[in-house]
Amino acid sequence: MKKKSFVFVLLLILVLSTALAACGEKKDSGSDGDKKEKVLVFGRGADSVKLDPAAVTDGESLNVTKNIFETLINFGEQNTDLVPGLASKWETSKNGLEYTFELQKGVKFQDGTDFNAEAVVKNFERWMNGNAKKFPYFQSMFGGFKGDKNAVIKEVKADGEDKVIITLNYPQAPFLKNLAMTPFAIASPTALEKEGKNFEKKPVGTGPFTFVEWKRNDSITLKKNEDYWQKGLPKLDKVIFRSIPDNSARLNALTSGEIDLADGINPSDAKMIEDNPNLQLFKRPSLNVGYLGLTVTRKPFDDKKVRQAVNYAIDKQAIVDTFYEGQADVAKNPMPPVIKGFNDSVEDYKYDPEKAKKLLAESDYKGETIELWAMPVPRPYMPDGQKIAEAIQKNLEDVGMKSKIVNYEWGTYLDKASKGEADAFLLGWTGDNGDADNFLYTLLDEDNIGSNNYTFFKNAETHKLLKEAQKEVDEEKRAKLYEKAQEIIHDEAPWVAIAYSTPLLAGKKEITGFKAHPTGSDRFDTIDFK
Amino acid sequence: MTGITPEIQLPEEKSKARSPFQDSLRTFRKSKVAVVGTIIVAFFILLAIFGPWIAPQGINEQNLKLRLLPPSSAHWFGTDVFGRDIFSRVILGARLSLLVGFASVALSIIIGSILGILAGYYGKWVDTIISRFFDILLAFPSILLAIAIVTALGPSLFNALLAIAIVNVPNFGRLIRSKVLSIKEEEFITAARAVGMRDTRILWGHVLPNSMTPIIVQGTLAIATAIIEAAALGFLGLGAQAPQPEWGKMLADARIYLINAPWTMIFPGLAIMLTVLGFNLMGDGLRDAFDPKMKN
Repeated sequence: MKKKSFVFVLLLILVLSTALAACGEKKDSGSDGDKKEKVLVFGRGADSVKLDPAAVTDGESLNVTKNIFETLINFGEQNTDLVPGLASKWETSKNGLEYTFELQKGVKFQDGTDFNAEAVVKNFERWMNGNAKKFPYFQSMFGGFKGDKNAVIKEVKADGEDKVIITLNYPQAPFLKNLAMTPFAIASPTALEKEGKNFEKKPVGTGPFTFVEWKRNDSITLKKNEDYWQKGLPKLDKVIFRSIPDNSARLNALTSGEIDLADGINPSDAKMIEDNPNLQLFKRPSLNVGYLGLTVTRKPFDDKKVRQAVNYAIDKQAIVDTFYEGQADVAKNPMPPVIKGFNDSVEDYKYDPEKAKKLLAESDYKGETIELWAMPVPRPYMPDGQKIAEAIQKNLEDVGMKSKIVNYEWGTYLDKASKGEADAFLLGWTGDNGDADNFLYTLLDEDNIGSNNYTFFKNAETHKLLKEAQKEVDEEKRAKLYEKAQEIIHDEAPWVAIAYSTPLLAGKKEITGFKAHPTGSDRFDTIDFK
Repeated sequence: MTGITPEIQLPEEKSKARSPFQDSLRTFRKSKVAVVGTIIVAFFILLAIFGPWIAPQGINEQNLKLRLLPPSSAHWFGTDVFGRDIFSRVILGARLSLLVGFASVALSIIIGSILGILAGYYGKWVDTIISRFFDILLAFPSILLAIAIVTALGPSLFNALLAIAIVNVPNFGRLIRSKVLSIKEEEFITAARAVGMRDTRILWGHVLPNSMTPIIVQGTLAIATAIIEAAALGFLGLGAQAPQPEWGKMLADARIYLINAPWTMIFPGLAIMLTVLGFNLMGDGLRDAFDPKMKN
């Protein structure tokens, strides 16, 4: 029996996919026609963890809560400019310590509770009285909780029905951008009280869609919020989030009509989608960076010359052309160029194997084999870590550095890498709020060693610059500080910045009004079917 | 007259004198299927031996500019995503797959034989312990057990080989044990014991050689299974590691290009299919030829 099993599985896949393709066509007719319910099925790579936005950090949870909840301030349609959300207007005091928000009037939560200043204060109180385990994002964006030394927010007060005043302990330049992040959405205080711990399974917000049901590891269903305060929205009657982990399987589900919109499209499939008259390709504006991290505390990467040599050795252009299929730009800094403060005058390490060999010869490197860690899962910033690792392995071999590709399961991979157990590892980052702080400080500052600074890079000068930039309210001065920091980081070379990628989504031709957001959390309220 | 009789009798005598082995060989040769299987196997063995001289390229000559080219006169099987010649990699992969096939089966035959003989010949508690051990191993689905072993040892081709060998041990162990149980009651063993032969000599000199036939048959079939298991482990990323041109791994790498560049998947897949088919046909032929029960 065993000998047949492999062939059998292949056959099974074939039969199943044919069967699925057949089912799909029948269902297709349901989505058009005005009388019918407009249902959008969104296929994505994983299930949500919790539906309480403040309590999670994973994109798949936030992508759902983005449609149930709203934040005081919103990001622009396809950028991270600030536009009014639940707050219609805001003002900052001269010293940057006091923010006054004027709230939208006539907004109600989905359970009928009034949205007002008191509700906002209750939400902030909830976060500020939490801890890092309960609200991890609050910790990293606002320095800490009530009583913590580094806490940014001092107090939040209601001034009448529709005015909220937030006072800070010290100025934080990206404060408004942080507030606009999906996790800091306002939840219904009544539901929070009533559901308690269960709130994460029965979320209630002010957003365009209301939570209906959640089948674990299968689907989450939302329906139209009939009383949504923005007139004419949402256009859909129902949104179903379905988890289909495999990228190819998800695309198959889309071509067969089982789903309407698919996240995480392999760049190699882009052409096929563009050629398919029933499908369209959506590009998510790039707000990410994929990189090869070189752990500076480990041999041989404790030597700057070795790190620079690796930078010269890798043919980034070829990698971008091959594995991103042109859906990316070669990276040179640890943050993408759309972010203010990007230093364009930094000269990238050119692909130059000879120079790499020379640098290696001058360094302490003795020809030992290094471990090259490859991501086991496709990520928006790196569609195929395994193959990129194989190409890098060859690049390194060409300059005389032997490497062994190492794999771990994704959770283990992140955990081990954050403890500095990898020599060189592939990883990446998608920005949450479009601020330089969210890249440079989060990924390369000594304060974040053990969390997001996987290379253990530590530099007194950049630390000073990045800390200073956090408190600098003048945009131009702040940009200068970040530009300087990028120069130092470039020279110290803790990374090989590989690519700023454009993540791809694909949907049925009939879909209109979908704008993929750079942060990866998309609003579905403007989507409609032709 | 007297001179003629022996001449006439001679061919008859010859045919009578044919050993059971020769007899089996004749049956084997007569079976077309078995011959086809043997030819396929021989072909892949030759590929494995002479691969490096046949293959136009090495295993890891990446040229990202030549990626995913369809089959052509320059690249008979096309190129993969790294621009490597698939024809070369499939040829060079034969060595890995056959190596895993032969070595893992040889290893499980050695371990299985020792355990099986001990269990069958000594019986009692030795038998109980060894047989229960086999039962435990057999209780797991083989690929699952192999995955567990590789996970514990760390993914590599050698560890995959070990895992497959361990998984196959009980099959051979049980086979030999049952064979030993029947042989040990034979008169020639009693005779050997009567003349005072020591256990070790009886075991190696009489019992083992008489148990060899079923092992060869089972072994050939097991090689086919081992090759598939190695490919499956490679496919799951637990067997051969990059840039080794293992067929299962090549399949896994090609998976996402199934639609755009099917040749990256077809040729390694065909190679797996053909070798496995070859060993299975050959094994079936051997069984038909050597198994007394299968005769008429």
